[in-house]
Amino acid sequence: MMQAVGFQRCAATEFFDCFAGTTKENTARKYGVRGANFIAYKQ
Amino acid sequence: MEQFCEITLDRERLKSEIRSTYSLVAETPTGDFHFHRGPEYAARQLGYDGEELSMLPGASTASFAGVGNPFRVREMPSGAFVIDLGSGAGMDCLLAGRRVGRQGRVLGVDMTDAMLDLARTSAGKADMPQVEFAFGEITDLPIDDASVDLAISNGVINLAVDKPAVFKELYRVLKPGGWIQFADIVIDQELSEKARNDIDLWVG
Repeated sequence: MMQAVGFQRCAATEFFDCFAGTTKENTARKYGVRGANFIAYKQ
Repeated sequence: MEQFCEITLDRERLKSEIRSTYSLVAETPTGDFHFHRGPEYAARQLGYDGEELSMLPGASTASFAGVGNPFRVREMPSGAFVIDLGSGAGMDCLLAGRRVGRQGRVLGVDMTDAMLDLARTSAGKADMPQVEFAFGEITDLPIDDASVDLAISNGVINLAVDKPAVFKELYRVLKPGGWIQFADIVIDQELSEKARNDIDLWVG
């Protein structure tokens, strides 16, 4: 999606278990929902 | 291959629900929400520096509800112009303000008045005139073309129905050579059409 508008060198750099300990923890695990860090550049 | 799922929900109702939920977070950060809030969570699960967070006004950190940590992606250069999409109570803007210094500028954009009030008060308490906040939507930023060095965001782009429009808008405001370093939600499985259009699941 980022590349489609022109961004380059797009990458996910790290993932976070941000729903651990919440009421949605089981749902998040079932569907693989996580937080993630991203970077992308405009040339 | 790019894939875009059809979203047919009522976009104005979604925006209204987002404003309502995050107004509640601003007013009662210890309330009952399905997502974590606060500086202890940020330090424990997202790798923020707890000592640095303790130096910020408590109102800016108590309502923090991010999902990752943009500051672990790349260092922020001193003197840069940084924008924060969906700046909430302003915690990430204040951290960015410490990094860019008074020669730099940080502009947080948010569409929830209660969050903007908290963030502006906190920037004043922190004596950071380089940190400002503006009302706006992330698909229509109140920012000039090619004026921004880098953009951050934390758990907000997932709330936009038209995500390509968000990235187009970011591309518009960034200078050539500028970049985005942000955190957001990812999902390993495709959701059903019913789930994709359930506003309660979008907002919680």
